[in-house]
Amino acid sequence: MGLILMTSFHFDIGSRARNAGRFIGRVQSELLRALAEKKMLRKFSQQSLARKLQVHRSLINRQLSGEANLTLRSLADLAWALDMEITIELKDPIVEAGSNQTFTTSTIQHAPIKIINGGRKLKSRLPANSDRQEMPNSQAKSA
Amino acid sequence: MPTIEELVEANAISRIEVAMELRDQPMRLLYGTPGFVTWLNEILGGAEPKSRLGEATPAEQIDQLFHRFLSGSPLIHLRQFRFVRAEKNAVWELKTPDTRIFGWFLKKDCFACVFGNWTDEVKDHELYRGYRIAIRRLRRELAVDDTLCVHGVDPDDVLSF
Repeated sequence: MGLILMTSFHFDIGSRARNAGRFIGRVQSELLRALAEKKMLRKFSQQSLARKLQVHRSLINRQLSGEANLTLRSLADLAWALDMEITIELKDPIVEAGSNQTFTTSTIQHAPIKIINGGRKLKSRLPANSDRQEMPNSQAKSA
Repeated sequence: MPTIEELVEANAISRIEVAMELRDQPMRLLYGTPGFVTWLNEILGGAEPKSRLGEATPAEQIDQLFHRFLSGSPLIHLRQFRFVRAEKNAVWELKTPDTRIFGWFLKKDCFACVFGNWTDEVKDHELYRGYRIAIRRLRRELAVDDTLCVHGVDPDDVLSF
């Protein structure tokens, strides 16, 4: 009997868990990046964030590291304290291959600026002679 | 002085993959030792730490970390990865709220996972030194210290951002 070699291992947790875990991770990463961006501009530190929100710095630290659950309110509070706004968008998955998207609106370091509703997909739905002002409101979902 | 392919053929390491979106192309590489893959299987089986810190399950935390790594997304130094000790041929740590993964960078953007454990266990029992020594020993046994090990400890030495 020959030796069985395992050349690759697929870590598969199922699509539902994958979707949840990656979404939570994206939110945390975006918060960390936003804070890092403010730090670079010398506008904020974790300490000043805590002071502004009148909470202990350890809570901010745990929220940013994912060790404390983020509620929608705490997320909104953090964004307020950072003087930034949150963009939420539900859309159909992008199915174009070969264009990694890093899910970020931050401009720190190498992150691209995400253009909301400016993509080809939306344009392709519009009649050739229509201009953007005629776009139905239901397609502009950013908040 | 073996190559990565020879290490895989010798069953010393296996390639680790997670589900990628159609739009994602793998930008980095992950490998794991047989012992690490056994630990991953325990995580897939629903293993949980005594007291979970993160909102996501350990399996979800690891999946998202691996996905970020493999898809080339930026990882935040100190929060999501860091070296254990500043030295030539450093041992590195990948981090999620509830888990810690120890290994080394074979090449830039190419990480070999050797040990995985709960964050609490690692901190409570101060396992950093033990893991570091064990990984250095493994590299010596595999004869990869000179050829398949990133020498720098700057984040830019190990990851393209």
